[in-house]
Amino acid sequence: MNQINKAIQETVQENQARAIVYNFLSSLLAKEVTGDLVTQLTSEQGQSFLNSLALEPSLSVSVNEINAKLGTLNCKESILELAADFCGLFLVDGRTSVSPYAGQYLSAELEEEPNNEQNNKLGSKSKKNKTQLFGDYHQQMTEFLTNNKLQIHSDFPEPGDHISVILSYIAHLCVSVESKDQLKFINCYLMPWVSDFAEEVNKYDHGLFYKAVASLMLEWLNIDTEYLINY
Amino acid sequence: MKEIVMKRRNFLKGILATSFTLASAASVLTPLSALAKVGAKNRDDWLTTGSHFGAFKVKRKNGVIDQVKPFDLDKYPTDMINGVKGLVYNPSRIRYPMVRLDFLLKGHKSDTSQRGDFRFVRVTWDQALTLFKQSLDEVQTNYGPSGLHAGQTGWRATGQLHSSTSHMQRAVAMHGNFVKKIGDYSTGAGQTILPYVLGSTEVYAQGTSWPLILDNAKTIILWANDPYKNLQVGWNAETHESYEYLAQLKEKVKQGQIRVISIDPVASKTQDYLGCEKIYVNPQTDVALMLAIAYELYTNNLHDQKFIDGYSLGFDRFVPYLTGESDGIAKTPEWAEKITSVPTGIIKDLAKTMVAGRTQMLMGWCIQRQQHGEQPYWMAAVLATMVGQIGLPGGGISYGHHYSSIGVPSSGAAAPGAFPRNLDEGQKPIFDSTDFKGASSTIPVARWIDAILEPGKVIDANGAKVTYPDIKMMIFSGNNPWNHHQDRNRMKEAFHKLECVVSIDINWTATCRFSDIVLPACTTMERNDIDIYGSYANRGLLAMQKMVEPLFDSLSDYEIFTRFARILGKEKEYTRGMTELDWLKKLYSECKTANDGKFVMPEFEQFWQDGYVHFGEGKPWTRHADFREDPEINPLGTPSGLIEIFSRKIERYQYDDCKGHPTWMEKSERSHGGPGSDKHPIWMQSCHPDKRLHSQMCESKEYRQTYTVQEREPVYLNPEDAKKRGIKAGDVVRVFNGRGQLLAGAVISKNYPKGVIRIHEGAWYGPVGDDGSITGGAKVGALCSYGDPNTLTQDIGSSKLAQACSAYTCLVDYEKFTGKLPKVTSFQGPLEIGA
Repeated sequence: MNQINKAIQETVQENQARAIVYNFLSSLLAKEVTGDLVTQLTSEQGQSFLNSLALEPSLSVSVNEINAKLGTLNCKESILELAADFCGLFLVDGRTSVSPYAGQYLSAELEEEPNNEQNNKLGSKSKKNKTQLFGDYHQQMTEFLTNNKLQIHSDFPEPGDHISVILSYIAHLCVSVESKDQLKFINCYLMPWVSDFAEEVNKYDHGLFYKAVASLMLEWLNIDTEYLINY
Repeated sequence: MKEIVMKRRNFLKGILATSFTLASAASVLTPLSALAKVGAKNRDDWLTTGSHFGAFKVKRKNGVIDQVKPFDLDKYPTDMINGVKGLVYNPSRIRYPMVRLDFLLKGHKSDTSQRGDFRFVRVTWDQALTLFKQSLDEVQTNYGPSGLHAGQTGWRATGQLHSSTSHMQRAVAMHGNFVKKIGDYSTGAGQTILPYVLGSTEVYAQGTSWPLILDNAKTIILWANDPYKNLQVGWNAETHESYEYLAQLKEKVKQGQIRVISIDPVASKTQDYLGCEKIYVNPQTDVALMLAIAYELYTNNLHDQKFIDGYSLGFDRFVPYLTGESDGIAKTPEWAEKITSVPTGIIKDLAKTMVAGRTQMLMGWCIQRQQHGEQPYWMAAVLATMVGQIGLPGGGISYGHHYSSIGVPSSGAAAPGAFPRNLDEGQKPIFDSTDFKGASSTIPVARWIDAILEPGKVIDANGAKVTYPDIKMMIFSGNNPWNHHQDRNRMKEAFHKLECVVSIDINWTATCRFSDIVLPACTTMERNDIDIYGSYANRGLLAMQKMVEPLFDSLSDYEIFTRFARILGKEKEYTRGMTELDWLKKLYSECKTANDGKFVMPEFEQFWQDGYVHFGEGKPWTRHADFREDPEINPLGTPSGLIEIFSRKIERYQYDDCKGHPTWMEKSERSHGGPGSDKHPIWMQSCHPDKRLHSQMCESKEYRQTYTVQEREPVYLNPEDAKKRGIKAGDVVRVFNGRGQLLAGAVISKNYPKGVIRIHEGAWYGPVGDDGSITGGAKVGALCSYGDPNTLTQDIGSSKLAQACSAYTCLVDYEKFTGKLPKVTSFQGPLEIGA
């Protein structure tokens, strides 16, 4: 009995840990890095968290890059430069931006790039900017949230299919539903487009920070889904 | 496998052991609030609203606009309402207040050399509005009111309360004084010359009712006029009632009851619809054609001398010019044929036709948007005077029957007021200096780029001298001058000189990209308002009900400037202590009081629930009938009270480009053998679009895709000209001249004669480098990837009188584009250097 209880408790703790990581990724993609966040992440506790993440070999490169960048964010200008990276990537729509919305990938038809050498270097197909915002995937996510007695925070006035909402919702699922349901959701609503998202961040991010965040998310999802499959 | 799981377990335990939680970055999710489940936004019934494109109804699904259908009373809706959702949910929505990074760091000393191609950062509303105020402080302190231009205003979105221009100008006026504009881009030359000739601007005046025209006219002359295209949109919610009359006209043309003769270089949409007669005229030569008709009338004694004597002034001063006595050139049909390509016989027939029965002249606005654009409007008035039917139903001249349902009988009801644009009586700005340092406080609308580039320069304008102010800061709200102004490359140079540019809009226009502070306004769907149904018909009052909450961090214009006024310490002065709802009730109840005893209006709550109150049909009316009845009791607003064929006032100005009577003058650029046509032989017509309202709606992607060619704006080409250049329908074409270059998609049509192309204005500007790179877009001379015709147009004043825009005096050439096709960059946020 004790062993069963222990196993349950361990599972609960593992899921709590996973939720922490999902929320961490969600928050890095939700808003700009602030001075407060830098302080938290460079504190002893924050460093301990990042170091423990880096213990997983497939995550260590990304975590170390994030950590290295955090070390350089020691003045207003450097934080603003990173905020401009964030803004150019996720807050505007354009040729060098990356849509954070699932619907822009999942509802989109493939769009041929014009015959342009420069574009060909970047990949001949793009799935960006195809559909209107607040579409079917926003509706779907809103329904999931409502069913789970959740809503998007008023400080975060974004559509429901924003990647941070999805990651945060997974964090909620980690501690509230069975593994197979977690896996089913991740496979349906995140996995089909997240590598395209990460690839575009990798293509368009000027700095290293969001490239590292996107890589970390991708690598984390790989090991976490593997974990869920094998659980 | 077990090993992997164990390893993972240990790894996860390690994470948990750190006890790390992100304090400031709490989840983006929160427990569902009980309030979120109820409330207006979750209603799923059909709600009413209005727009420039007409009134329509909207059904929502979970707080998102789902379906849009025309308002029940709109029998001729435009399919543009299909683009409405694409405006609201556009990926290019301005989602948050943003500031150009270099401006945030260096303020008025920022590097402006690559404005339009810079990095932005998100800021809070408080930060953005505080920066806005600080910039105004800096300009007022360092330069005074002549350093600030907040008067460049545009077509806004509809609504009497949230009108963007009113809010911006009232709020900024609470801070300090600023330079304003006079006139507008649409009718700059017309609205300046016609008060001298007919005593009012005419272009915005109610015209003779369509039923009277249809009952009385034997001939209708559509001169450079395409009402079937242009009546789709209106200044207020458009009723589209004019289309019923156009349908009746089509039937009368078919039955041979009315002759409609369209004089135009191109075969217009209206010509195609009505199946009417067409007379081709060389672009920009209409005055020569009008003079020849006048010559024919005069020399054959077909003109109405009695009407001329009784109702006009100065015919005797005009005749020597007509006959050639004063300048040695008789304005004969033969003379005109050489200039206009209209055969002498047709000119003579036209003269006879115009006096053979009741003839209604309906002028379009295109021909006054050119160099010497005052002349065709003046000369048309002279022709109408010679025909002698001004003031008769179905006769005379109109300058507005293609605009906002002019000609639809007005209900006669009083329209609601609007949120005030100016300060209330007794209110004073924080910076109350009125010292414009010798410069003018009001400048002609299209001359602001000149002013930025050449501050201190003195020009002639409408009988006065205008000294250009030294403009350092500009504010644009619901206004996209990177559409409506001419010559993009000149604009780029000018924008490098500005210290601060503020834009308030819904989606990222080129104007926003060329700004330093960009503020997100919500669309009309995201706020409550009221509007007149039919600008001139005044058919009723329309509730513009909020469909959805403002998206992202956008705010209504009222809220944006209420917050701004709060920063100024003047919130109460600004709002008069009233909320949005208070204002709507006030505007409604004042309208109700004004209509008391004449039109029945329910209480506000009932009106809001119904969504509409109907004022009923109007009575037919004839323009200038009162003047005709008694010109002494009902004089025109001209100096003499009569139609001024010759203007002593204008003569006294001694302008070489606008003399005392209408005159044919050669243009700086003219096709078909005119100046410059040896180098660039093609005339480019950049008329109002068929599928947009100016630049509004261009960004609506799904709707835009119904007309684009290879994602580009269409360029309409003559078959022979295109063939000569090896161009097929669907090709991408590079259109160019010495001022700029653009890409557009070829549509080949016999509607366009040799030497003429058309690109509709309102095509969003999206510059790229010659190599297709986005980095080159900020450079002068960059290629517009989408097809904005104002990349090519000429930025000169129409004349010393109006100083209006001259977009139609523009020659170009074109070729098949064979380079690497760049991606369109018009519909997106700011671009990043080096990307």
